[in-house]
Amino acid sequence: MASTDHTPKASTPVGGLSAGKGKVDWRRAFGLREMGVYYALILLVVSLAFLTAYLGKANYLSVQNLTNVLYQTSLTAMMAAAMTVILVTGNFDLSVASVAALSAAVMVGTVESLGILPAFGAAMGVAILCGLLNGSIVMFLGINAFIVTLGTLTAIRGLVQLYTDGRSLQVSDLETVATLKAFEGYIFDMGVPMFVAGLAMLALAIVSFGKHLQILPRHIGLVLGGVVLAGLSWSNGLTFPLRMPVVITAVFVGIVWFILSFTTVGRRVYAVGGNPEAARLSGVNVVAYRLGAFVLCSATAGFAGILFGSRLRSMTPTALSGMELTVIASAILGGTSLFGGAGSVIKTVAGALLLFSLTNGFNILNLGANYQGLIEGIVVVAAAAIYTVGNGKAKSKTS
Amino acid sequence: MTDAVPLMQLKNVRKTFGTQIVALRGVDLNITRGRVHGLLGANGAGKSTLIKILSGAYAATGGSVIWKGSEVRWTSPKQANDMGVATIHQHIPLVPTLSVIENVFMGATGFWRVNAAMRKGFEGLCERVGYRLDADAIVSDLSIGARQMVAIFQALATGADLIVMDEPTASLAADEREIVYATVRKLSRGENKAILFVSHFLDEIIALTDEVTVLRDGAAVFRAETAGLDEDKIAEAIVGKEIVALEKATLERSRHVADGATDVPVLQLRNLASPGNLAPITLDLRRGEVLGVAGLLGSGRSELLHAIFGADRFASGEVLLNGKRLKTSTKASVDAGLALVPEDRFGQGLVPDFEIWRNTSLPALESVSRFGFLLDQKKEIARGEEAIRRLAIKAPDSQSIVTDLSGGNAQKVTIAKWLFSDVKVFLLDEPTAGIDIGAKTEILQLVRKLAEDGKSVIIVSSEFEELMAACDRIIVMRDGRKVAEKAAHETNEHELLLLAGGKDNSNTQMTPQGQTIGA
Repeated sequence: MASTDHTPKASTPVGGLSAGKGKVDWRRAFGLREMGVYYALILLVVSLAFLTAYLGKANYLSVQNLTNVLYQTSLTAMMAAAMTVILVTGNFDLSVASVAALSAAVMVGTVESLGILPAFGAAMGVAILCGLLNGSIVMFLGINAFIVTLGTLTAIRGLVQLYTDGRSLQVSDLETVATLKAFEGYIFDMGVPMFVAGLAMLALAIVSFGKHLQILPRHIGLVLGGVVLAGLSWSNGLTFPLRMPVVITAVFVGIVWFILSFTTVGRRVYAVGGNPEAARLSGVNVVAYRLGAFVLCSATAGFAGILFGSRLRSMTPTALSGMELTVIASAILGGTSLFGGAGSVIKTVAGALLLFSLTNGFNILNLGANYQGLIEGIVVVAAAAIYTVGNGKAKSKTS
Repeated sequence: MTDAVPLMQLKNVRKTFGTQIVALRGVDLNITRGRVHGLLGANGAGKSTLIKILSGAYAATGGSVIWKGSEVRWTSPKQANDMGVATIHQHIPLVPTLSVIENVFMGATGFWRVNAAMRKGFEGLCERVGYRLDADAIVSDLSIGARQMVAIFQALATGADLIVMDEPTASLAADEREIVYATVRKLSRGENKAILFVSHFLDEIIALTDEVTVLRDGAAVFRAETAGLDEDKIAEAIVGKEIVALEKATLERSRHVADGATDVPVLQLRNLASPGNLAPITLDLRRGEVLGVAGLLGSGRSELLHAIFGADRFASGEVLLNGKRLKTSTKASVDAGLALVPEDRFGQGLVPDFEIWRNTSLPALESVSRFGFLLDQKKEIARGEEAIRRLAIKAPDSQSIVTDLSGGNAQKVTIAKWLFSDVKVFLLDEPTAGIDIGAKTEILQLVRKLAEDGKSVIIVSSEFEELMAACDRIIVMRDGRKVAEKAAHETNEHELLLLAGGKDNSNTQMTPQGQTIGA
């Protein structure tokens, strides 16, 4: 996963071709600022693996547990990837959890009368409307995104209350329940694809090394990622069951990563966040990009809500409350700038994995949920501190 | 009265930055109680540096500052302030969310935000100046003129003997200026304060000051009693004689260009206006023509460029490029072939976290992409390297982050990003501000080169000698309207200065508004 992360701050060319001439700044490329979230994740996973082995608890690195962590992370990771995009454009969306809840409520509430696909469509439509609403207020009235979405966070949650009339909704039609269950619970055996992808990453690293005749940071990332993917699959006998939300999240994150890293749209997204005025005067339609980011964020939340609703086939009015904070925390752990212009979806996903690995570790080690909030909070603040301190030099240059 | 002994004396004051840049090369200045001393000079002449030395923000590299008869070396503005020098800066540093009285007594010590002593002091100030401000009004609610008065009150509240005013009237309307003039007179004649008055407006220098010093290239080149001076003499002193040579070159070139000139209008403005900033303007720009826009800060020159570029959504009127009307959107303008190099290069021109190559490819991403969306980094970097080569940008390679570049090189990047697409009209807003003379010349040469290649250029500058050197035609703007239009070889910097800065002369020389526009 760590293969080719991409922020405009990275001094090393990304996916790039001209690197032959420049010297690689290794201290920077592997410094805490760039790679901290990966180090933290690796450190956590390794220590949990040793602790569980030492204490004789269930094996942390078992496929069962790993797929479980991925499954628990998936919805947050998906929303955090979209959150990263909106943060990169220089905006903010606090309302994602409420939008997801509204979408889930609409889906659960209409699925029996409308049928599955129309219900999904209705839920997505409502979510996209929320995004348009947020974006239009921010862009056309010029109100700060933090304030607007703080308001819509409450207002949309209020809509959920109204829609559900304060009660829990439930899908009772057996056939519908079975279909939703089959959709959400569908298991892909990703063993072979993972193994092939791992080998492909290793091959890519070798080919790229042959071209540059120089070890670049991304070679190390490709090798590590390839070994992990292929190794996990190999050690489990080339099977690796992943559930629908995990696969959808992986595909979604992959697409967003690709667009941000390699396309004109992605470049403009970073330009809009990096200096909106310069982007506007370079002919970039800043309003469209920022509005688009709001819609993407809400649409993703809506889809996460559909998956959530399909998982439980029921919906309480307070479900998913507070999830926006986990989503934003993941993006911050991944080093996304709150001021726009910098961020990487891959690192954001690593941030989400870090948070859920912590939770998972607490459960496995039976440490009690009481410590959980405290430790998670400390991790987020520590990460922010690392990014701020590590960024100190660059900061003073720009301001 | 100690009128004979100067309150402040500068003797051979020098200031250098690093080993290369000499801002002041030995300036003598006497400031006397009870008199208004006018300080003039073109941009880069050293006015700001001199003011900063007076007010303690900079320490002089050489020479001496003598205050009330004894030599001083101030190391902070606070020190200068405590000894009786108050400076009113051009951009008024007030706290907009606080009340007038809180701003005026900002430096006061004590527990209460506002106490009776302050109220009493404030009343006293109002009476001294003869201008009444509402003590409890919030500063952000005040007009610019009233804010200027708050800044003056602030300076007076410190009990200063010398008040330095850096272009206090630059952004004021006529009636607001009158208030400032009255105050200045009252302070100097009535209260025996010494005032150093910095301005670009020649008419107010003549009307207000008792003596005048003109700076040019870091030296005081002209010093005289105001009585007996006229605007012509001052303008000549500001401009210098060297300009004659440049103007000759312009004349040669203008003839040359006139031969090959095309009459095909590329860009046509039809009653382009922006409420509050720009009076309706109608203008044609020919293919291969360089049009200069002369005007002082706040004259509407940047607003004109932004309105042309579709960056001002309140703009009305029409912009036609090759006969086709442009929509009011920066994207439409860029797609059609307009390019804007904005005044604030880091604030508006560049994305600070991007490398040179990411900045140079931003306006024309499609042309460095496969299938129009998949960026080809090899091409992008090649473009960045090409920009470095063509404009002689001093950077190790195109991987340099733009914030690491010097002002002149960053400026070249903001220009370079437009050189790789089919741009028909370049709009350059102060392209040479704050950059060294070498880079300046290169940029002006580039402008001429673009014109020879059939591009049209509109260039805004406060340094009129540059306009004389680079342009075919020059329009003069003042208070948001076009007040004159001249062929470059038929005018001179002196005249432009009068048109842009002097009210009386411009009134007699300019054709009435409607007629000029209708032409």
